[in-house]
Amino acid sequence: MPALLSIRDLEISFRQGKRLMPAVSGVSFDVNAGEIVSLVGESGSGKSVTALSVLGLLSRQGKVQGGQILFDGKNLAALSETELDRIRGKEIAMIFQDIMYSLNPVFTIGSQLTEGMRRHLGVSGEEAWREGKRLLSRTGIRDAEQVMKKYPHMLSGGMRQRVMIAMALSCKPRLLIADEPTTALDVTIQYQIIQLLKSLRDEEGMAVLLITHDIGVVAEIADRVVVMYAGQCVEEADAETLLSRPAHPYTRALMRAVPGLHDDRSVLLYAIPGRVPEQYGLMTGCRFAPRCPWGENCPDKEKDRLISPAPGRLCRCPRALGGEDHA
Amino acid sequence: MPETPVAEVRSLCKEYRITGENALFSRTFSAVRDVSFQIFPGETFGIVGESGCGKSTVARLLMCLEKPTKGEVYFRGERVDDLPEGRRRFLRPRFQMVFQDSGSSLNPRKRVLDILGEPMAYHGIAKGRQAEKRAEELLSMVGLNPEMKNRYPHEFSGGQRQRVCIAKALSLNPDLIVLDEPVSALDVSVQAQILNLLRALQEQMNLTYLFIGHGLGAVHYVSHRIAVMYMGQVVEAGPSDALFDHPAHPYTRALLDAAPSADIAQRGRSRISLRGEMDDHPPRDACPLYHRCPYAQEKCLSYRAETKPLPGQSAHITCCDRAWEG
Repeated sequence: MPALLSIRDLEISFRQGKRLMPAVSGVSFDVNAGEIVSLVGESGSGKSVTALSVLGLLSRQGKVQGGQILFDGKNLAALSETELDRIRGKEIAMIFQDIMYSLNPVFTIGSQLTEGMRRHLGVSGEEAWREGKRLLSRTGIRDAEQVMKKYPHMLSGGMRQRVMIAMALSCKPRLLIADEPTTALDVTIQYQIIQLLKSLRDEEGMAVLLITHDIGVVAEIADRVVVMYAGQCVEEADAETLLSRPAHPYTRALMRAVPGLHDDRSVLLYAIPGRVPEQYGLMTGCRFAPRCPWGENCPDKEKDRLISPAPGRLCRCPRALGGEDHA
Repeated sequence: MPETPVAEVRSLCKEYRITGENALFSRTFSAVRDVSFQIFPGETFGIVGESGCGKSTVARLLMCLEKPTKGEVYFRGERVDDLPEGRRRFLRPRFQMVFQDSGSSLNPRKRVLDILGEPMAYHGIAKGRQAEKRAEELLSMVGLNPEMKNRYPHEFSGGQRQRVCIAKALSLNPDLIVLDEPVSALDVSVQAQILNLLRALQEQMNLTYLFIGHGLGAVHYVSHRIAVMYMGQVVEAGPSDALFDHPAHPYTRALLDAAPSADIAQRGRSRISLRGEMDDHPPRDACPLYHRCPYAQEKCLSYRAETKPLPGQSAHITCCDRAWEG
């Protein structure tokens, strides 16, 4: 069976003055029905841009320059705005990172939550209201009826985030794109949301593209992980393999930067020096080399090609693979 | 420890009056209930808890930005909460704060040089050329290029701006720096950089921190001692490792269990789960966790809200009866 979402050699550029700056360079990955695929990387690595392009939501400066975004066999990158409108919110829903600006301040939660259902599913207002309440309670909100009548400013950040999630689920999308859905939440609520996403995957076969920089969340729910750095995929593997045996130095560095609950406090946390270069689209060779612990002396720093050491596994660092494969 | 604590709070309470649609619906809300702790020179005291548990209010009370309803605040052994505002002003440079949102805590119309220099001039620490030199020193201390002194806040990335905020907090040589969620808005890699910077600065200058956060890993990494707050109360406190490795209070255990673990082998581990939500108000006099605790018993209804040390561990305290019994 072909994948539900299949991104092939995606190229996205942003116009900066007269120049075109590549933001995503040749990214490919699949998301199958009933699978949670996590896109991991620092801010500025191109993961949100990739996600936005799926729904045709890039800002005016951004453009898909090449590649395909196949959803159920249709290339979304080639669809018109009207055709995309029929897919947005219904077949593919998105939870945005910025909860402050993602709800309309002048409409009640109920009216925003039921809008999608009234529009895409053609259900009556009454029915949509009932379904809306059910969705809210599923995200762990009590007094759903009360919350439906409130305006966004009357809710806390955690509540708003859950409203966003309920809204995204309202039309039973086949694919949910979640951009940092739990970053702003307390751990206990984060845990509830993680459980909710899991049950949607297991019970309704929903596919989830989860964008995050939190390795902990990845370890909790992802089935497969795509690590992005500077607009490229640097490593891909199933979650088990990637987290227990990360190959690419960037993946390893990301994992070491997270302080664990039972770590030895006297050991200094590994911090990746510097940050993602801004104009990475113009770099040649390995884009991580300037921050890599192997650094400038790496014999492979001119090489820039994804290698597949095993089925379902990809890595962009030949040196890392050399070490592991022969071990 | 015979040392005088830098800051100490005793039986701190803070109530807010909430006015409803009419007078009948107004009630008092206890944001902080009977909180006591001491912070010693050179240590980091961490406070963890979910949003709304009162951790930021405690920090505001400690810095005398608000008046407690009950209880006392001491600065280097001297009571300060009852001083008149004019005499309390000497405290302002002694306590400095770093907030979560570095973007809104720096004046967008001022250059970094002025942001760092103005407080120094106001408090008579340095002026003019001298202040400029000190600002350059501070910038290189927090890992920024001193050449950046003429830039405006928007010209920095989030992580760099947080470094500027730390430099600003350091500029007055404070006795205590309150860090309120300083890394929650940052990327993991930048988070690690800032946490390491905070630890390095503490070692170099023997700084004292109050670190507030909801990221449990980060709080554990920087703090020597940690207090866990729930509904305005400290439910458990102790040395960081003891607290995280052997949590005694059911709330602490639930909090630690809920935190995602980067270790994939931990996926699907068994955890304590609490019922309901934080706004479930327990009956009067009952343990604040009564409604939600899986171990709630009848005696938890008449709860005395005393924190006592665990058997054989004088530094590790909790208010759960069950924990003392082992």
